[in-house]
Amino acid sequence: MVKVEGYEVPEGLYYSKEFSWIKIEGEKVRMGITDYAQKQLREIVYAELPEAGAEVKQNEPYGTVESVKAVSDLVAAVSGTVEEVNSEVQSRPELLNEDPFDRGWLVIVKPANLQAELPSLMAFDQAVEWHKNQAQAK
Amino acid sequence: MKAATMAKRIIIIGANAAGVEAASAARKKDRAAEITLVTQEKTAGYSRCGLPFVIGGQIPGFNDLIVYSQAYFQMLKLTLKNETKVTAIDTKEKTVATADKAGNVETLPYDSLVIATGADSFMPPIKGREKQGILSLRGLEDGEKIDQAVKDGAKSAVIMGAGLIGLETGVALIERGLKVTIVEMLPQILPQMLDADMAKMVQEHLQEKGMCILTSKAVEEFLGDDKVTAVMAGGERIEADLFISAFGVRANTKVAVDAGIPLGETRAIKTDARMETGVKDVYAIGDCAESLNIITHKPTCAQLGTIAVRQGKVAGKNAAGDYSLFTGVLASAVTRLFDVEAGVTGLTEAAAARAKIEVVTGAISSKTKADYYPTAKPIKVKLVVEKESQRIIGAQIIGGEEVTQRINALSFAIQKEMTVRELAKADTAYAPPLCETWEPMVLAAEMVLMKLR
Repeated sequence: MVKVEGYEVPEGLYYSKEFSWIKIEGEKVRMGITDYAQKQLREIVYAELPEAGAEVKQNEPYGTVESVKAVSDLVAAVSGTVEEVNSEVQSRPELLNEDPFDRGWLVIVKPANLQAELPSLMAFDQAVEWHKNQAQAK
Repeated sequence: MKAATMAKRIIIIGANAAGVEAASAARKKDRAAEITLVTQEKTAGYSRCGLPFVIGGQIPGFNDLIVYSQAYFQMLKLTLKNETKVTAIDTKEKTVATADKAGNVETLPYDSLVIATGADSFMPPIKGREKQGILSLRGLEDGEKIDQAVKDGAKSAVIMGAGLIGLETGVALIERGLKVTIVEMLPQILPQMLDADMAKMVQEHLQEKGMCILTSKAVEEFLGDDKVTAVMAGGERIEADLFISAFGVRANTKVAVDAGIPLGETRAIKTDARMETGVKDVYAIGDCAESLNIITHKPTCAQLGTIAVRQGKVAGKNAAGDYSLFTGVLASAVTRLFDVEAGVTGLTEAAAARAKIEVVTGAISSKTKADYYPTAKPIKVKLVVEKESQRIIGAQIIGGEEVTQRINALSFAIQKEMTVRELAKADTAYAPPLCETWEPMVLAAEMVLMKLR
């Protein structure tokens, strides 16, 4: 686990500039929000997620997360069909603060067009650089 | 049909404590609204209150004061127009006219408008005030100028005004090695915050730490050719390398006044309990807005960060079509000056007298830990109690530590209209390394009860 300016950026994931991460797991893609994102929102108390079977589209909202003070759309990093939703996060949204990259995953998607969409996401090295710039620019 | 489905347009003028809070609250209510913040400053979403502590060196850099990142604005879909001035508001057409740094002008339509234009440093009409080199401490850039002057070798400073900003800046400059003189027109320091007896304790501490404090002395003239090199104060000539005006701040109301939005008796923008101004769908919050004092029920413009965010939340909700009321101000405030903390909530004895409220006071000196515990520090609690109802209406505390949460506790007590008799029976906690057996707030209540007998 690498920490950039105090924000966790794990290796092996792809990152979007809308604060999502994905992990490619064979034919499927696991998606969530980054440590950087949860730290901007602070204590998350509500996560509104799609149902299994819903279609999500890259760069478009597929749900919302709400904290004591703020609310933000969840913006999909890839297009596809939702196969599984993390119901644990719906009952315990604080998992998004405690463990955003593992137990705080949000949905598992069967990607529609992964090879075409992947180049618009950031791999680890790029993501480290991007996080650095975000934190310094504030 | 089309109009009904259009996203609500909310414009917020100002993008610091009050403005960003309003934007966040509006977004929580309305996920689809177009929310735009317009600010003249380059940097948005930073904490003004932290400026003295960057100058003092406790906080590494001015950028650390940025509370709301660019990512926060992006995640909440808030459009930020910085270095952009609102030149006019048209409350009939419901538009604001803006001009950016490059001179580009725009007319933005709104459904709800929130004015959070803050306050500007006030300079009295003193002879020579047009001369160069008089700094103030209001924004990030002001802070950077003072910091740069110190880096450039300033060895001494004159600070005009012994309010919170003046004293906190004075402490910061002493910590940076400067010789600091404070000039205050009134006979005491912190005149808005503390009674003279309590202020004296703080003044003695500051003087022990090397701050030179001149009270009952007005600044009469700025001396020097083009650049100020000295001031005349109370007939005395004081030279210095750095001059900081901390006379106070005045609500920035020009754009509102030009648009016909009424001011109140404090010369800040008049608001109702929903933080709405005299003009429909226009709200005002923060340092430019007035609201009611909980005790006197009179308009007040206390210009504190906590009031700004509480008003911002209320106005943001209402601007987005929700319902929320602002319940009023006790002007609770705390500060730390070297090793002493000072706090206030509600009315001071002097403010009560001005409001023609008759009071009985009690003041207790105690320790912040058990008296025998080696690191115990002194603490003094003063209670102000209304004579007839025996309700607590104010408190001031000076101590080496643990002041803030006592001020908060007494603020809650006042808001719940607690009587001094109830406070004297309060159930409190105790452990030798943390506090005294008899809580000083309770003992102060006991003293007031004895005087009321």
